[in-house]
Amino acid sequence: MRDDNVKSAGAGAAAAAISRGEAPQAESEELIRRRRFLQAGVGVGIALTVGGISILSVTSSLHPIEKTTPETEPPAPGDKLVFADEQTHVLVPSDLQIGAAPQMVYPMDPKTKVVKGGTANNLALVGRFDPANLSADTKPHAAGGVVAYSAICTHLGCTVSLWDPKEEWMHCPCHHARFDPRNDAKVMEGPAPRPLPVLPLKMDGNDVVVAAGFLSPIGPQ
Amino acid sequence: MLRWFDERLALKRFYNKFLRKAFPVHHSFFLGEITLFAFVTLVLTGIFLSINFEPSIRMVTQGGQKLPAAYASVRFIDSLPFGMVIRSIHHWAANVMIAAAFLHMVRILLTGAYKKPREINWIIGICLLGFSIFAAFTGYSLPFDAFSATATKIGYNIASSLPIIGHWFAGVFFGGQFPTEHSIPRLNAIHILWLPLLLGVLIVGHVLIMYLQKHTQPRYAEKVAPGKILGVPFFPQQALIMAVLFSFFLGVVAILAAVFIANPIEVFGPPGPSTPEVKPEWYFLWIYGFLQMIPSDWNLSVIGVEIGPQFLGLVVPILVVILGFIFPFLDVSRRKFRYLELPSRFPWRTGAAMGVIGFFMASTLAAYRNDLGLSMALSWVIVVGTPLLFTVVTAGIIRLAYGPKKRALPAAPAPGVRVQRGG
Repeated sequence: MRDDNVKSAGAGAAAAAISRGEAPQAESEELIRRRRFLQAGVGVGIALTVGGISILSVTSSLHPIEKTTPETEPPAPGDKLVFADEQTHVLVPSDLQIGAAPQMVYPMDPKTKVVKGGTANNLALVGRFDPANLSADTKPHAAGGVVAYSAICTHLGCTVSLWDPKEEWMHCPCHHARFDPRNDAKVMEGPAPRPLPVLPLKMDGNDVVVAAGFLSPIGPQ
Repeated sequence: MLRWFDERLALKRFYNKFLRKAFPVHHSFFLGEITLFAFVTLVLTGIFLSINFEPSIRMVTQGGQKLPAAYASVRFIDSLPFGMVIRSIHHWAANVMIAAAFLHMVRILLTGAYKKPREINWIIGICLLGFSIFAAFTGYSLPFDAFSATATKIGYNIASSLPIIGHWFAGVFFGGQFPTEHSIPRLNAIHILWLPLLLGVLIVGHVLIMYLQKHTQPRYAEKVAPGKILGVPFFPQQALIMAVLFSFFLGVVAILAAVFIANPIEVFGPPGPSTPEVKPEWYFLWIYGFLQMIPSDWNLSVIGVEIGPQFLGLVVPILVVILGFIFPFLDVSRRKFRYLELPSRFPWRTGAAMGVIGFFMASTLAAYRNDLGLSMALSWVIVVGTPLLFTVVTAGIIRLAYGPKKRALPAAPAPGVRVQRGG
C-alpha cells in the first residue's frame, strides 16, 4: 500500500523523500493531493451538469414552437379552393383552360370562410387537362380533369411557379426541376428528389373541393 | 502638447514599436488592405442602415399599401437623402470584400506564403472569408422583398438538409421554418452584431499575427538585404499609400453604387405566393451550379439517416473548406518561410491553384445550365474536366517556359525602398 503511494508520487520526489527518511510525510501529501483532485473533480462535474442543463434549456427554447392557427391548418376534406392572388374568387372548373398553366390556390374552410393562406405549405397548383391524357395513377385524384399538387418544390422549397407550355410540365424557377402534372407530378428533370405531393380533389356540385389532405410530406423535409 | 501625451502614453515607444513596421512594396500586396477597407466601409454604411431598419415582418401601411415592416423600412431608407446610394455602397462593398479576400487568398497560395509559420493566419483567413460570405447572405435576407425571401428560403432549406441536426440548426438561425415572425429579427441580430463582431476580432487577430510574424518578403529583398526586413515604414509612408488606396476604393465603389443600384426592392415587390426566377450572388453561383447538377435519384441512406441530393450539394463546399484547412500542413519543411516563392518555380502548385479557380469557373458555368441548354452529362464533364485541364495546361506551360533547371531572375528592387533592421 505504502509502496504504491510512493511510486505514484513522482519518482524524483519519492526517491528524495525516502533517502531523507520522510516517507510518511510524502504519503500524507499524496493523500492531500488525492483529496484535492477528488474535490476538484466533483466541483467540475457539478459545474458541468448545472451549466449543461442551463445551456440545454436555453438552446432548446431557441427553436420556436410551431403554432397552428386557422389560417395555417392543413387542407381538410370538403375545403373549397380560392385563387391565391384573388382570395374571394372560389375556383370552379370553368376558370381553368384545358392544358393551360396551373393556377395557385389556397384551401378555404367552407363553414368559417377562413382562407388557409397563412403558410406556403398550403399553396397548391391546380391545372385542368383532358381526362384521357391523365395517367392511371392520377385519375383517382382528379375531379373532372382538374388536378392539384403542392406548389412547394421538394428540392429546396421554392414555389413551382413556371410552366413549360411545350412539354406541359410544371417548372421550378430556382433550380429548374420539372414535374409532369398529368402523371402525379413525377420529376421529369432536375434535382428534385420526390414528386410534388398530390392534393386529391372531388366534385361537390359545381365546385372542385379537396377530397383529402396532401398525400405526402410537403417541401424538402 | 505632443510631449504631454508622450509622457503619459509612451507614444514614442508605441511609434517605434508598431508604427515603424516595414511594409514590403509589391504590386500584389494591396488585396488584404482592400478587404480591410471594404470591412470599414461596410461597418460605417451599416451604422446608417441599421438605425433606420426595422427588423420585423409585421404588416404596416405605407403609402396606402400593406407591407412587411422590414420591406417598408428599406423603402424608407431609399427615400432618405443619399439613402439609396448608401445602401448600394453597402451592397457593392460587400461584393468587393469577398472578391478581394478571395484574390488575397489566391496570392498567398501562389507565392507559398501560407507555409510555416503562417499556417494559423491562413486558417484565420479562410474563416474570415467564410464568415464574410455568411454575413453577406444574412444581409441579403433583411429587406424581405420577393427576391431576398426566396433566396433566404433556399438557404434555410439547404441548412435544414444537414443530416440529423439540420432541422433544429436551421430553426435556431432562421427562427423556425422560414419565414416566421422570428426570422428577420434573428437574421438581423446575426448580421449587424454577431458576425461583424466575430469578423472584427478575427481581423484584429489576423493583422496582429501578421505584425508578429512580419510580412513575407518579395524576392528582391533577398538580393538587396539578405536576412533583413525590407519595406517602407507604416507611418507615414505606408499610411499615405493606404489612404490613397482607400480613397480610390471608395471612389470605385461609389461609382458602382451610383450606376448599379443594389437590389431594387421597389421593382421586386414584397414576397408573394409566387417565386421569382432567382439567381444567387456571383459568389454563390458555384454552389448553385452544383445544386442543379445533382440528379434527383442521389439519395443516400447511411445507418438509417436519409441524406438527400440537397445535402450532397453542401458536401462540395464543406470539402473545399476542409481541404483549405489542411493545405498548409501538406508542406512539411521545417524551416521558417521568409521569402515569397515565384509561381513559376512551382509548376504543380500553381497548376493546382489554377485548377481550383477552374473548378469555381466551371461550376459557375453550370449555374447557367438551363439558359445555355447544357445537358446534365455535359455539365459534369465540364465541371470535372476544367480543373484537370487548367492544372495540366498551367503546369505544362510553366515547364515549357521556364524549364525544370532554369532559374528565374529575381526582380530589381523598387526605387526608394528603405532597408530596415529586424526580423
